[in-house]
Amino acid sequence: MVEVFAVASGKGGTGKTTSTVALGMALSERYDVTVVDADTGMANMLFHAGLSDAETTLHDVLAESASVEAATYERFGMTVVPCGTSLDGFRDADPSRLREVVARLAADTDVILLDSPPALDSRAAVLPVVMADRTVIVLQPTIPAISDGLKVQEYATSYDTDVAGLLFNKVREDGIERVAEKTERYFEGPTLGAVPESERAREARRAGRPLLAHAPHCDAAAAYRRAADSLSVRDGQSGEVADRFRSAVIPEPP
Amino acid sequence: MKLPQGRLRKSRVVTDPREPLADVLDRAVTGYAVFEPQDSLLLDADGRGVVTFVDGVPVVAYHTGTDRGGPPALADLAVPGPYHVSVFELDGADLGPVHDVEDLRVPPGMPAERLAGDPALADSTRRAAPPERRAPAGTEAADDHGAVEAFLEDEEKIEAIREQARQEAKQRAAEWELNDT
Ligand SMILES: Nc1ncnc2c1ncn2[C@@H]1O[C@H](COP(=O)(O)OP(=O)(O)OP(=O)(O)O)[C@@H](O)[C@H]1O
Ligand SMILES: [Mg+2]
Repeated sequence: MVEVFAVASGKGGTGKTTSTVALGMALSERYDVTVVDADTGMANMLFHAGLSDAETTLHDVLAESASVEAATYERFGMTVVPCGTSLDGFRDADPSRLREVVARLAADTDVILLDSPPALDSRAAVLPVVMADRTVIVLQPTIPAISDGLKVQEYATSYDTDVAGLLFNKVREDGIERVAEKTERYFEGPTLGAVPESERAREARRAGRPLLAHAPHCDAAAAYRRAADSLSVRDGQSGEVADRFRSAVIPEPP
Repeated sequence: MKLPQGRLRKSRVVTDPREPLADVLDRAVTGYAVFEPQDSLLLDADGRGVVTFVDGVPVVAYHTGTDRGGPPALADLAVPGPYHVSVFELDGADLGPVHDVEDLRVPPGMPAERLAGDPALADSTRRAAPPERRAPAGTEAADDHGAVEAFLEDEEKIEAIREQARQEAKQRAAEWELNDT
């Protein structure tokens, strides 16, 4: 069984990476989870998962100078595939190889979460949303974040990627239920949860640890666990998924 | 709303209105910024938004397309980017008459909240505002879910945003040769 989720938002800084790692940890209680830093231009998952000294990363795999296995790390109960931060690494990486990487990972995991870039303006930026089965859309309760979330949904559905649900993050006030209810009318997925603005989340990032490891009992961590519980992972055949990714070869632009 | 032209400081296209708002705050600009959404398909796209500043802190907002001022003008302007933004400097005295119009005024942090969706920038803008313009803690933010809800009730505008995104997605899929997936 494997299902691939993109964690996306269109807008920057909404908490995609924080959410990818938090949902991954929460889901790892029920599933075998792999989280991938698919934000290859501005990688930062390594800073959220205690991997800032990782020697081999997705960049090396995408540059065909390392195997997928060499860039996977077992951390906090999940398999983490971080991306590197060097410009050289980014330049040499071929983002279209990401499909092959996801296909290989799909062979022996239950859930793959792809942390996505904060934009839709290039092929590499939309690739995670294109490849995923479903997308989790991370929204701050602001007008710009919601309109960017709408854009993500339209891009996703135009590639037959379904919307798994909405995750509100950095919620600062009461009354999010009303905002969520009105937002849901325009989205093809339910609200999975609302994570409060939390100093613990910033601390965790500074400490280089996932929120659920740093402050497992705080309100934000609890909200992530509830969101993960409301996400029902669908059964897919690993072999089928792997084949689908391999066969969907993208030609390079001229 | 009439303003003297002023001295042009900057004129460029940005994807996120956060950038000029942060820049104006950083440099403590006194003057105004004109925001022109580039999305031709969107309803209010032929209108432009004007926001004035004193020492980098927003004072009034006006939308030329809808002829609305104050917080509603910010709602009219809240469409996905890119925007063409021009920043002009003026003497404080030239802004006086416009700043006296109560209906045009906006709370200091509101443009950062509604246009940029950046609560942290809104906080620093509020901190930079003179004491008499600072709302009691929490009260300004507390009304913001209201603005989001008002936005969500504008079905036509949201449908236009979605339609625009659908077309863009289709066109780009072709450009990027992502069709056959
Ligand atoms: N619920 C929260 N409360 C407070 N701070 C948060 C919360 N979630 C995330 N943050 C903080 O916001 C910042 C951005 O978070 P994160 O890196 O997860 O966002 P992102 O969407 O992945 O950003 P980017 O678009 O740059 O990839 C980080 O400093 C993070 O610690
Ligand atoms: Mg990120």
